[in-house]
Amino acid sequence: MALIERFQKTTDVGYWEGQIPMNYIYTVGRAGEKFFREIIAGKLFGARCDVCKITYVPPRTYCEKCFARLEESYVEVGTKGTVHTFTQCYETFDGVKKKDPSIVAVIRIDGTDGGLVHWLGEVDFEKVSIGMPVEAVFKAKKDREGNILDIKYFKPVK
Amino acid sequence: MRRVAIVGAGLTKFYRNTQETPKELAYEATKMALDSCEMKLSDIDCVVNGTAPDAFDGVHMKGEYLSDGSGAYRKPYMRHFVGGGTGVLSPIHGWFHVASGMFDTCLVVAEEKMSSAYPHPAGAFLTIFDHTTEQPLYPTLIYIFAIEMNRFMTTHGYRKEDIALVAVKNKKNALDHPSAQIPGEVTVQDVLNSEIMAWPVNRLDISPTSDGAACIVLAAEHVARRITEKPIWIDGCGWSLDTAYWCTRDLYYPDYLEVAARQAYKMAGIKEPHKEIHVAEPYDPFTYKELHHIEGLMLAPRGKSVEMLVNGHFNRDGNLPTSPSGGLLGVGNPIAAAGLMKIMEVYLQLKGAAGKRQVPGNPTCGVANAWGDLMQVGTVVVLRK
Repeated sequence: MALIERFQKTTDVGYWEGQIPMNYIYTVGRAGEKFFREIIAGKLFGARCDVCKITYVPPRTYCEKCFARLEESYVEVGTKGTVHTFTQCYETFDGVKKKDPSIVAVIRIDGTDGGLVHWLGEVDFEKVSIGMPVEAVFKAKKDREGNILDIKYFKPVK
Repeated sequence: MRRVAIVGAGLTKFYRNTQETPKELAYEATKMALDSCEMKLSDIDCVVNGTAPDAFDGVHMKGEYLSDGSGAYRKPYMRHFVGGGTGVLSPIHGWFHVASGMFDTCLVVAEEKMSSAYPHPAGAFLTIFDHTTEQPLYPTLIYIFAIEMNRFMTTHGYRKEDIALVAVKNKKNALDHPSAQIPGEVTVQDVLNSEIMAWPVNRLDISPTSDGAACIVLAAEHVARRITEKPIWIDGCGWSLDTAYWCTRDLYYPDYLEVAARQAYKMAGIKEPHKEIHVAEPYDPFTYKELHHIEGLMLAPRGKSVEMLVNGHFNRDGNLPTSPSGGLLGVGNPIAAAGLMKIMEVYLQLKGAAGKRQVPGNPTCGVANAWGDLMQVGTVVVLRK
């Protein structure tokens, strides 16, 4: 076996430090324009495929099952849902310990087949359960920018 | 379609940090595979390469970069990539080349070097998520798996301390694997007491960051019979992709895998997988994932895998040994190479060449699977002797 014995850090051997230097501007897309414009108004929208009887949230321009166009089929879906599943996360996306672990959940929006992943707030982790009813909490209207963070988190429905 | 056999295999050690470049890792595995069946590079008609995100090794067009180390100099060469599912798509991709009649021999090479990326290679996963509805929330790979594990546990009433037995079993099996990165004797308490990453996932529920490479040599029947007295046949292949909108899936059951497994079993003529399959390498980057995949491969009824695990059914000397290699939890997880390591383990088990890891009972049929992309791709291969 040619591989050398284990060492602790990649910098213990010869190396060159580099990057993939690139930043990105992602367009939200056609369905995204609708979704995020309505989010500014404090509303959630989906797209309904009447053939497959599916309501997609977030909305899409097409049904992935039958390939129908759905741009004429956007529907308001309300801001309430249930916790489909959840976790409490102790690390950031790049492996750094978090001081304040966040609760993350997949929210099934009521009356739809769609799910949003988002944070849960105004609740202790021990109190969270699968099936718990929750609703979206939006930022103050003047602070909304038309992105997913206009929803601050979902909180339990009292 | 022609029958296709595996006739040779090679595997590097798996380490957290290797000095070798990705090309050098690919070369070591490929050279070892050729040597294992006394073949020369000039005996090889074509090469396929499996390797996961370019962002790990930090080289765009990683397939092209790896080509020479994979033995592809001036040969027909293709790279494939389905995230974590890549390593078991690799032999399928090679199988196409030989089964079609286009080529008689094919090298199948899988490589990953995750240690190049820092502060942590997990950061590369941020951009697999939807860029406008998910990335702003900084999702982590561990938390989406924690979310899936929670759904799986809650639906079936599984206990975390029982699921932890997968880590105990696989790390112990890995003690007998010469490539193993994190083998060991651990207890359920060790797993439960290890650092919490994202509830209900603890440190010892997860496979490590790894560097490594694997290679198998494929041959058409008339060539295989000249090379070895014990060709191991690729008798079934299956692959499928569920919706990329992972939040819309139930997550408690791996439909992506059942679809792929049914395709592979149909091709192999397998009607009762739990009886006809003697050894399995279900994909185990996380403890619960081995059980999730045992159910998706239909080797256990839904909701029964934990009971069977607790009763020793999946131990190396059990009725249906799973991950006798030690799996990703014990041997390590250089993504694409880990999947191909599992194929290689089934190959060695059927050949009777697994040494101290050999399962008893002269197994004649085995299966391996892998899983990846955004939690929705299933790749399955059935091998027979």
